[in-house]
Amino acid sequence: MKKQFTLTLVIALMTVYQGMAQEWLVPDDQKGLTNPSEYNLSNVKKGKDLYMKNCKSCHGDPGKHNGLPLVPPPPDMVSEQMQKNTDGELFFKITKGRGGMPQFETTISEDDRWRLINFIRNFDPSHEQLLVDAPPQKAKLLASVNEVEKKVEIFAEVDDKNGSFVKLPNAAVKISAKKAFGNLPIGEVLTNAEGRAEYQIPETLIGDESGMVNIVVQLDENYVTDNVVLDAAKVGQPKPQPRLIKKEILWSTNENVQSWLLLSYLGAVGAAWAAIGYVVFQIFKIWRVGKE
Amino acid sequence: MEKEKSPEESRKLLDKITFDLTRSIVKRDELTNFWYFILIMFALVGLWGWGIQVRDGLGVTGMRDYVSWGMYIANFVFFVAVSLIGFLISSALHLLKIKWSKVISRVAEQVAIAGVALAGIIIVMDMGRPDRFLNVFLHGRFASPIIWDVTVVTTYLTISVLLFYLPLLPDLALLRDKGSDDIPQWKRNVYRILALGWKGNAEQYKLMAHAMRILMILIVPVGLSIHTVTSWLFAATLRSGWDTTIFGPYFVAGAFVAGVAAVIIVMYMYRVRYGLKDYFEDYHFNMMGKLFVLVCLVYLYFNINEFFVPGYKMKTAESIHLSNLFTGKFSTMFWATQLFGLFLPITLMVNKFFRKPLPITIISVFVLIASWFKRYIIVIPTLEHPFLPVQNVPENYQHYAPTSIETMITVFSFMAAILIITILAKMFPVIAIWEYAEEKGISREIISEPKN
Ligand code: HEC
Repeated sequence: MKKQFTLTLVIALMTVYQGMAQEWLVPDDQKGLTNPSEYNLSNVKKGKDLYMKNCKSCHGDPGKHNGLPLVPPPPDMVSEQMQKNTDGELFFKITKGRGGMPQFETTISEDDRWRLINFIRNFDPSHEQLLVDAPPQKAKLLASVNEVEKKVEIFAEVDDKNGSFVKLPNAAVKISAKKAFGNLPIGEVLTNAEGRAEYQIPETLIGDESGMVNIVVQLDENYVTDNVVLDAAKVGQPKPQPRLIKKEILWSTNENVQSWLLLSYLGAVGAAWAAIGYVVFQIFKIWRVGKE
Repeated sequence: MEKEKSPEESRKLLDKITFDLTRSIVKRDELTNFWYFILIMFALVGLWGWGIQVRDGLGVTGMRDYVSWGMYIANFVFFVAVSLIGFLISSALHLLKIKWSKVISRVAEQVAIAGVALAGIIIVMDMGRPDRFLNVFLHGRFASPIIWDVTVVTTYLTISVLLFYLPLLPDLALLRDKGSDDIPQWKRNVYRILALGWKGNAEQYKLMAHAMRILMILIVPVGLSIHTVTSWLFAATLRSGWDTTIFGPYFVAGAFVAGVAAVIIVMYMYRVRYGLKDYFEDYHFNMMGKLFVLVCLVYLYFNINEFFVPGYKMKTAESIHLSNLFTGKFSTMFWATQLFGLFLPITLMVNKFFRKPLPITIISVFVLIASWFKRYIIVIPTLEHPFLPVQNVPENYQHYAPTSIETMITVFSFMAAILIITILAKMFPVIAIWEYAEEKGISREIISEPKN
């Protein structure tokens, strides 16, 4: 009981605390921890993968300051606010989370959390930058979908820096399906020497009620292009539409009402009101007798 | 029935009875005005609170996501409960040919009408969007206990009004023909219209008796349903504290306790205020007291079942709920309702002294208050303990406490109920004159003969 109470108190306090965007206090013994994971290219790369999967959705691309507009906002990795943390502080914050920042204690292993810090430090001016992203190149992407063969045909070109576009070999092209709440990645192909690629849409892809899917084609971050969103094509399975309200359940809709229930209800109500009607008729008769 | 009297004697006696029983209609003094003033003022304050609630939404109440049924629903159950007495006294006891209850029939019907009318109104007041009220009828789901409840409340209200109105016919005619000149003209116009040309001939009496009999039989299932269905609103869920099979009879038994208490209080008020000592006699209070003990014992029996068995098993979720009642946050309220609503009335009223008018009325006040809190105990604690943990919500979501607006609206409901009873008493005799006269051996011809 007492434990429960403290817990609610802590939660309540934390909610209030978060709203005020106060300083994030880290226990002293945690602050001083040093990163046991060596700062090398392999660890930074692993950290990057982890970042892309777990953090980018909120914190955005490092250096672009395009995180989600939360209150308080998730700081960019290159920001001073982020980098002024000690390794121990970063580790604590990632582990425990606070308010809009989830905890990763249970979802990311300790080693990997330290690797994430390796990656964050890649943007620290006092560290040598191990992972340098080349400046993105301009590219063009064309794609079409072949409904009969359930294939996506792709052609990519890249700016050769002299103002003309040449075919782009060996580039990773991501294929996704557009869904109500974002794009669902379904596969990746490499362009061949001709700058072309073909992607076979899996049989299991599910579309809308009639199997229509909008395929989205995009190049990786090293290229600047517009994503290609193709017209809806019938390349998926029709979406199954289970009836959400089943027959014979509590509070069911009128179309699904249990017949025994409906009959009892109508029977009882009908009988009661028939009797009431009969009584009212008697009153009417009393009135008629009185008039005679 | 006493022996037939001579016409002369009969007429004199009838005049006296009529005079006594119309005192409530005629009497209008400072106290009447004051009484109306108080009732209407508090009712208006409540309506004002309701205005605020309609404007700002249900956020002005203490109800949140978890406790979404608060004081309003507890109050609703209370009023439904109180109204059930109409069915017990004016039908069940009648059908059992119990004589002493006849005098009390009309009081019981008044209480029933006021109770069930307010029950309906409270539901509308509990709605965040009362303008959508008609949707309940237009788009109601037959599989939902709420629809059953709406149906049965309206049906019961209709039957109660008819049950009040039918035996009123001879009285209306009597007042129309023989009412003293002290009765305001407009009231007599109302009597003339409502009396439906009652002449008091044998055929009319026969029709009335026939219709009454049907109503009295009809109200037995409907009366039982109204409170059983109300209990199903709770029992048709899986929540601990509500998920029990005896909820129907448990509610009905509790309803009789509350209703008997309410009727005794009203009887006492009439007796004192309208000088009806010879009509609501000590004998009637005594008999009501015995009935009171009986219904309390039945209710006690259900309470023992309701709490003893789960209290013995202490299933996980149930045990949180029960320890909350027995020893936790709600324990004071719980034991107080059991003490004042059950143990005390039973132990006191087995003694003849406490069945005298004043003591029994005082006991009834305590019981009535206790039964209101009993409904609160049935509704709120269960909602505060849902099966899934209450997490990441503001403090005021976790516990329910009624706000002042809720209290205002609840006070409104009491004032409105008392107002309905008052108006009925001021409009119509509180005891059936013709029935009472017949008991005293006055023949129907004399009752229905025009003023000489
Ligand atoms: C659901 C959105 C979300 C995700 C996913 C997320 N964060 Fe955060 N993060 C936030 C928010 C919001 C804050 C600011 C919290 C605050 O100040 O209360 C934050 C703060 C931080 C901070 C503290 C910055 C400071 O002010 O000192 C660090 C470090 C951090 N995040 C790292 C990460 C890492 C690493 C990941 C991925 C493993 C991640 N975050 C994933 C939303 C997110």
